[in-house]
Amino acid sequence: MSFIHVQHLNKQFDGTAVIEDVSFQLEKGMCVSLLGPNGAGKTTTLRILSGLMKPTSGIITFEGKSNKEDIRSWIGYLPQYPVFHNWMSGREFLIYVARLAYLSKKEAASRADQLLQKVGLHDAKNRRIGKYSGGMKQRLGIAQAMIHRPKLIMLDEPVSSLDPNGRREVLNLIDELKKETTILFSTHILSDAEEVSDRLLLLHNGTLHHSGTIEELQATQAVNRIILRFDSQPERYIEQLDSLPEVIHIEQNREALYIEANKIEAARSAILHQAAQYQWPLTSFEIGRLSLEELFMKVVNK
Amino acid sequence: MQWMTLFQKETLENWRNFKWLWVPITFILLAALDPVTTHYLPVILEKSGELPEGATFDLPTPTPPEAFLLSFGQLNLLGVAVVLLMTMGIIASERKSGVTELILVKPVRYTAYITAKWASTLVLILVSLFLGLLTSWYYVNILYGDLAFTIMLGSFFLYSVWMTFVLTISIFMNVFFKTPGLVGFLSIALIILINSLNGLVSRFIDWYPSQINTYIRTYVINGTTNGDLLLTIIITLLLIIVMLISSVLVFRKKELAA
Amino acid sequence: MEQTFSEVISSIPWGIVAPLLVIQAILLIVALVDWFRIERTNGPKWVWLIIILFFNILGPILYFLIGRRNNG
Repeated sequence: MSFIHVQHLNKQFDGTAVIEDVSFQLEKGMCVSLLGPNGAGKTTTLRILSGLMKPTSGIITFEGKSNKEDIRSWIGYLPQYPVFHNWMSGREFLIYVARLAYLSKKEAASRADQLLQKVGLHDAKNRRIGKYSGGMKQRLGIAQAMIHRPKLIMLDEPVSSLDPNGRREVLNLIDELKKETTILFSTHILSDAEEVSDRLLLLHNGTLHHSGTIEELQATQAVNRIILRFDSQPERYIEQLDSLPEVIHIEQNREALYIEANKIEAARSAILHQAAQYQWPLTSFEIGRLSLEELFMKVVNK
Repeated sequence: MQWMTLFQKETLENWRNFKWLWVPITFILLAALDPVTTHYLPVILEKSGELPEGATFDLPTPTPPEAFLLSFGQLNLLGVAVVLLMTMGIIASERKSGVTELILVKPVRYTAYITAKWASTLVLILVSLFLGLLTSWYYVNILYGDLAFTIMLGSFFLYSVWMTFVLTISIFMNVFFKTPGLVGFLSIALIILINSLNGLVSRFIDWYPSQINTYIRTYVINGTTNGDLLLTIIITLLLIIVMLISSVLVFRKKELAA
Repeated sequence: MEQTFSEVISSIPWGIVAPLLVIQAILLIVALVDWFRIERTNGPKWVWLIIILFFNILGPILYFLIGRRNNG
């Protein structure tokens, strides 16, 4: 039973399609990354899910409730560039949004203190938000998204504007939040997606190219890689390898040959057979998989 | 209660950015300066010797009601401008800066969001207006002669309706546009238009909102009101309610992200 | 009959006008305090200092209405 069901989502701005026929499902407890280059439609997708924008067409259901109803109580949202009331302190702001989400005065205060502790802003809680650094604002942003214990939290490019320290802090925080709630976060950085998410939604030019695990994405490509390393002069064997039916593409990098092949089992025995027969000066034989980066390029350039 | 949370936040903000200090002071100065300077002007001119020798100063001294009405002249011009400029970004700048992206993804009722902003500003404006008129009344009594306190009170209530109308126009414009400057410009243009149509329209109808100012004049001078005043007030209040409701309806339909 | 400036000054009953001058001074001080604390204004900050200081009453009001940044 899926938790969020998005069907045939379309969004146009002045006649130009930004999101085209996007459908996916999110399951409870998952950490899903919405991956795509800048301008792919990630922010628009998140804004539609959060209710800040209305889709041109399409249906979103949230545990059976449609987006015609007010689903805002169930979601927490952190925009890419969160703007706060700078004249408030971090603690005041959290209590304010908690009260807006119908927490009682007592609950709001205790939840605010608890989250300030969790995101590491305890010492700065009474300082004006205007004085916070970028990383502190991002962490306060995550705290405000979590304040009413939403069933889904959505983070729009939560780490892309941060320096390496801030980035590490926020990624660790997301890793921790995974235990508590369902997370959907957008990023254009593949390693972030690979590091914290269980699932990928691959968005490019407003269309969804893949939805599932990284392994599933690799499987869809039906391409595997064999890396052969030689003592010297690997180019001498390229022609021979190329004649094998399973081999699709070969690239040389110094002493190594990167071979893309389908039917990995057949390719392996064929290559090993050749190597033994002609006594290739092999130093290593490795079966590797495409990196996320390469997969991404493959899917996108298809 | 969510409405109170929003209202308290607005009020706290108005304390922290000193609105609760400078707006009342502005209204006091606007309302009191004209009656006071008008009284001392002949004295100052005469004593400073700028009049030719032997010339006497023959400006008729205003009666207490006339002196008190000087305050409304200032308020109608600068008071209204202060209200419109002060509120031109009340919603627009929050949308422009992006704070609304954090606030309105929480389950905030749009009616509460708009009316809480409206109400907290209204309280500020009406308190300031009252302090201003009270100061003016005090000086009129010292410098010109007796003016009944009830006249001050009555004219305050009448003028409150007009000020509420002005504020509501600003809120209404805020819902449509994200640029505070544009909101300010359009609200000022609309008020000028409404006021300048007064002469024409009042030939045909007796309940046009800007006529409140004419009724205040009659009330302060004669101490009486006529029947159409009530109708004007009711119509103006109805317009305020209609504008507030449409503000909420329009705001609900807006896309809240940039 | 020549009148001196000091006579003009003394002809004004200061006891009556003083309260107005006091609140005008408060307005000026509040504007200065806010100008001092605020990080950025609309337009160059020093220009607003001049406006506040040299335009009586109107200067501080204009500063609060236009000069002050909303989220400051």
